[in-house]
Amino acid sequence: MAHNGCPVNRSIAAFEDVLATERLGDPKNQRRVEELIQLLTDVAWGRAGDAHLPAIAQLAGELAQDPGEARARETGAAFLGVLNEFREVFQSHIDTHNCASGDCVRLAPAPCQMTCPAGIDVPTYVSLIGEGRDAEAIEVIRRDNPFPWVCGLVCTRPCEFMCVRGRIDRPVGIKPLKGFAAERALSRSQYRNPPRESDKGQKVAIIGAGPGGMSAAYYLALKGYGVGVIEAQPSAGGMILLGIPRYRLPREVIDREVAMLQELGVEFRFNTRFGVDTSLAALRGEGYEAFLFAIGAHQSFKLGIPGEGDFAGVVEAVDFLRRVALGDRRAPGHRVVVIGGGNVAIDAARTALRLGSETVTLAYRRTRHEMPADEEEVEQAEEEGIQLAFLTIPKEVVGAEGRLQGLRCLRAEMVRADDSDRLRPVPVRDSDFLLETDIIIAAIGQRVDETGMEELAGLAWTRRHTIDVNMVSMETNQPGIFAVGDAVTGPATVIEAIGGGKRAAEAIDRHLSGLPQPKMPPVPVRRGRVACREIAANRKMTLKRPEMPLLNIDRRRTTFQQVELGYDEAAVRDEASRCLRCDICLRCGRCVEICRDKMKVDALQMGYFDFDHPVETDFRATAERCILCGACAANCPTGAMRMEDRDGERVLSLCGTVLNRQALLCCEDCGAVLGPLRYLEYVRKRHATIALRADSRSLCDACARQAAAAAVETDR
Amino acid sequence: MVFRKGQKVELFRRSSDESWEPYMDAFVGLHGIVTDPDTAINDPDALVEVSLEGKGTHRLPQDCLRPLDHD
Repeated sequence: MAHNGCPVNRSIAAFEDVLATERLGDPKNQRRVEELIQLLTDVAWGRAGDAHLPAIAQLAGELAQDPGEARARETGAAFLGVLNEFREVFQSHIDTHNCASGDCVRLAPAPCQMTCPAGIDVPTYVSLIGEGRDAEAIEVIRRDNPFPWVCGLVCTRPCEFMCVRGRIDRPVGIKPLKGFAAERALSRSQYRNPPRESDKGQKVAIIGAGPGGMSAAYYLALKGYGVGVIEAQPSAGGMILLGIPRYRLPREVIDREVAMLQELGVEFRFNTRFGVDTSLAALRGEGYEAFLFAIGAHQSFKLGIPGEGDFAGVVEAVDFLRRVALGDRRAPGHRVVVIGGGNVAIDAARTALRLGSETVTLAYRRTRHEMPADEEEVEQAEEEGIQLAFLTIPKEVVGAEGRLQGLRCLRAEMVRADDSDRLRPVPVRDSDFLLETDIIIAAIGQRVDETGMEELAGLAWTRRHTIDVNMVSMETNQPGIFAVGDAVTGPATVIEAIGGGKRAAEAIDRHLSGLPQPKMPPVPVRRGRVACREIAANRKMTLKRPEMPLLNIDRRRTTFQQVELGYDEAAVRDEASRCLRCDICLRCGRCVEICRDKMKVDALQMGYFDFDHPVETDFRATAERCILCGACAANCPTGAMRMEDRDGERVLSLCGTVLNRQALLCCEDCGAVLGPLRYLEYVRKRHATIALRADSRSLCDACARQAAAAAVETDR
Repeated sequence: MVFRKGQKVELFRRSSDESWEPYMDAFVGLHGIVTDPDTAINDPDALVEVSLEGKGTHRLPQDCLRPLDHD
């Protein structure tokens, strides 16, 4: 047997070849091979259970020891060799419903799941939400991400960028669906922790209660470790508490998610700064055996312009947001200038407005096109009255008698450097102007604050001043010391930190169990295969992604109430049904090729199959030309394309989207199903010169032959 | 910042950056979408988050990426 690719898939192919070439003479051995194919197919399709591998091994053993047929013994022995060598892979198919090679196409994760840094099984939970099974959806999410409610409100949703539906119109609103399901499950007391494994008697210390650290805490606690979280601030949350304003992420959401960790036994030690209030040696003394540093990136970059350090009115955005998050509600000033173009800059500007600042101007050195902030956040900021000053380069902070008066700036123009395609802002000569202000908030990025880490003298750092780790295991160069989150990546996303936390938890578990670390990042795990719900093609095409309802503008300008109000239930269920179920249809294009090239019908207009150059898609077009021959369904490797006869109709569907349905004609004599009229006409046209015509009657082949024979007899 | 959110890119070569790891060699030639560009200081040296088709999401140095759409 070949050892390339997936051994499960290869074994099936090898056994099928044995049957096809009739190498086995004994019917008993043929039956054994057929049964092996059946069981292995269960494994390849993710529907095998604990009893499968023993049954497979037994059947193969019987084959390998067959006294009467040498070829059977060879076949069985060869397979047993593969099974022994790759037993872990076989077991992994059963346990994780995942085929890392992608050969077992039914177990290949969808693009949205592959894209999620935490590897959440998006199609499964979106489908569950579509069916109103919100609590089950939350269970699926929390297997890879312990904070579905937080992510349902603030995730940067990379999944939506890769969403295949976006090649047709707009991506599925995955983020708001998740937020809805979390809120609903929590409000109905259906948001529960999974059972914890038995106590392992070992303890892990996590330094930093941000999303990365808390994710690791959750998964380690589930594995039975004692987990202590050391946090310098008075509350848990890290940057999601201190850096994301309440109008985007209410504090109650974080508190409820943190409470779920406490319920698992995770112990938080607040107001405790590592390197000041505790140390590695002290923690070791308390019995902690592994350490995860999730200290974030809380130190701001300096503007580096004259006057920056001369006035109290120049503040750093993360400090400003932290103060507000911890309860300071004073307006920072009357006329505020925020410098920067990222999400932190937008958050600082909108926060200042809500605190009562009269004007807030955001100064950004490039254009709107280059702005890294979330587009929706920028739009909302503009709606609220934030003024955006593009192509504005800060030159000098000016003031008098210790009082800030303004920010002197230069106009810029975007110029292409000779040696690159990178456009960069270049100051325009003599374009000085003064932005009058009494407070300047600098939001030009953060870095890791290394203060307190002196004890770890041998810890390797990157040239970007982040902790150097193996990104697969999140392990540093110090044995037993791991790191995760912004401290590793620099300022990044919440979901990236969560994914890193999960990886770190797995790596710490391996470390404490004495197992070697993996060499490749983990492949996302399929958590289920929810049946497709039927939907008409025209509805699938015409359903539009709903706009997010927002709080009224006056409240947005004056309070910290949540701005995005979330979809209502009807909108959520509809939105979920826009999902194309890419966990089932892999967009291999075989159906399109068969229909177009072999059948010459060309009824499938699936322009979204192509990643690089998607063209127009219209599921409705299929009904205009499709003859319901079934060639597409017969050649679909995953069962995404299905054709079935029911209630007097033949129905063709792709992942539940009904592409065509036509009435079935039946034999006028015996009642056997003939097929739809369009299909019969197609067949008759193709066979016009050779087919036996039964007048104008609709007869099945058998009745037509009998009718013809009777006619011949009559002629005699 | 040469890359922006939602932009299609090609990972066209290995990078000599310290953040490049051996398993990333298998990514060369793949296409993907920028999901989180340098959000801080428009630093050409910053790592950007890219979702590679079929290979997941990774932080990559900018010198191994090139845009596929020049709009």
